[in-house]
Amino acid sequence: MNQFSFDSRLKNILIGFMVLGLVCLGITFFVDDELHTRFWTNYLHNSVFFTGIALMSLFIMAAFTTAWSGWHTLVKRIWEAYSLFLIPGLILMLVVIIGIWGHFHHLYHWADAEAVAADPILQGKSSFLNPGWYTFGTLIIVGLWILFAVRIRQLSVDEDANGTTDYDHHRKIRIWSAAFLPLAGFSSAAVIWQWIMSIDAHWYSTLYAWYTGASWFVAAMALTILTIIYLKSRGYLEKVNIEHLHDLGKYMFAFSIFWTYLWFSQYMLIWYANVGEETVYFLERRENYPVLFYGNLILNFVAPFFILMRNDTKRKYGTLVFTSIVVFFGHWWDFFQMIKPGARTTAMEALAHHAGEHGHEMIAHGEMGAHELPFALGYTIPGFLELGTMLGFLALFLFVAFDRLSKASLVPKNDPYLAESLQHHVEIHGEEGAH
Amino acid sequence: MSKENKDVLYGLYDDEEVLLKAVDQANAGHLEIMDVFSPFPVHGLDPKLGLSESRLHIAGFVFGAIGTLTAFLFMTWVFTRDWPIIFGGKPYWSVPAFIPITFELTVLFASIGMVVTFYTICGMAPGIWNPILDDRITDDKFCIAFDVTGSEEAEKEKLKSFFTASGASEVNTKTI
Repeated sequence: MNQFSFDSRLKNILIGFMVLGLVCLGITFFVDDELHTRFWTNYLHNSVFFTGIALMSLFIMAAFTTAWSGWHTLVKRIWEAYSLFLIPGLILMLVVIIGIWGHFHHLYHWADAEAVAADPILQGKSSFLNPGWYTFGTLIIVGLWILFAVRIRQLSVDEDANGTTDYDHHRKIRIWSAAFLPLAGFSSAAVIWQWIMSIDAHWYSTLYAWYTGASWFVAAMALTILTIIYLKSRGYLEKVNIEHLHDLGKYMFAFSIFWTYLWFSQYMLIWYANVGEETVYFLERRENYPVLFYGNLILNFVAPFFILMRNDTKRKYGTLVFTSIVVFFGHWWDFFQMIKPGARTTAMEALAHHAGEHGHEMIAHGEMGAHELPFALGYTIPGFLELGTMLGFLALFLFVAFDRLSKASLVPKNDPYLAESLQHHVEIHGEEGAH
Repeated sequence: MSKENKDVLYGLYDDEEVLLKAVDQANAGHLEIMDVFSPFPVHGLDPKLGLSESRLHIAGFVFGAIGTLTAFLFMTWVFTRDWPIIFGGKPYWSVPAFIPITFELTVLFASIGMVVTFYTICGMAPGIWNPILDDRITDDKFCIAFDVTGSEEAEKEKLKSFFTASGASEVNTKTI
């Protein structure tokens, strides 16, 4: 079957999960402290995570097209569909922007004019970290990504209808893809600094954007593998075989190691240099969030490294699905770890500040006093509300992706590389597929 | 390995697709192939020849693990027992500082161990001469070789007719 039909049963399941996500967000809002820190961090966490997966899907596709890759042609419609989540992603981020202008949340220390006035470091950074740049940067940069995502998708679908299998039509996709790569490389860093790194407004790291990007990349690969296996179980994508999944598994393995390399490079240099303004980030996480800190490495390095090291684990559905779920959850955990501690410190300072003015009862309110506990659901590790929220966002992501997927053929029939993808054969000892 | 010379009858093919079909034909005719030579790895050839998957990577893992332990335990011993020195106010047992060296030694042990293992399996060492059937099997020819030491003339004719039928561009005999 080349045409995916987004049937009502699947739609209802996804809508069900979206409702669950909304309910979880709603509950979070009401059990929260008065700044609604938990609600806003969860919202930002999931918005950033899934928008990033959409960006990385576009990036993967552009990189493969530019590199004359052929094997991925059979699965590229999935990445096209994922990349179109950038549009809802921008809407999700607009809510955060409105929150900054309306002072609905205290996610960002630099957005608090009073705090900036008393803080020379924040003043020094205020020409970049200010609501205007945050808004402008997000709108322009994500807007540009959307332009490329929509254009590449259009050209690809148009190739089915009006193109031929020669390169004339394909060349246009190549030009757009090649132009996207440097643009995505530089602009994603700026957006990552504003969206996530500026939560710890005093701190900065030059490796942070790469590390975050690698996290998105692995999550995108894991989700791709899961989606392909789901679609295959429904009888779609029958031409995608274990050879393609083997290659996707290799990407997941390789980029898990790449992520670890970046994580460690960032950690070790800061640990070794031992400069107070840099170590503050890791000290806070290691001492007060040990489960998050070490769990991150177990989920995202130890598990995929040892499971996917063997050849055959990348060629079996069971191990691939298991590792994809672990790694997808692991990188979601990683973003939780990036966002929560900094936002919590900012909120606690704001609450203490209020308490100084209005008495001491406010600081004890809610869960903000639970700083010392190694397990405080929703703060030092993700709680059930966080999981529910994630499932809701995931359902939204998949709803958009499946909807886009059903609008075009699953097989790009006029892609000049389709024949190469159909014959893809990587394993010398594998079953004979191609000949 | 036998020290005696072998008489080898071999055919050269121009294309790997032709070679794969020829191997199928040889298998169907129950001809006992001594070896197949190709300038690059040909996909799907190993199962046809009944070769099992190489276990070299298991050796690689074992050597790598030995490297990891050697580096890590040695540094631990040096910096906690033998000659403890404080570097930059860090504890004696500074795990993050050990990791780059541990990684390097893992790679070093795995790579050298695998090279030595591979050379041993293939019977290669400095000073050993490995006969080559035809120089062009390292360039653009694909070769199927049969051991015809002490074979009957009729047997050799049968093999020659197999080569002709399966599209070999050249058939030769060589004693190695």
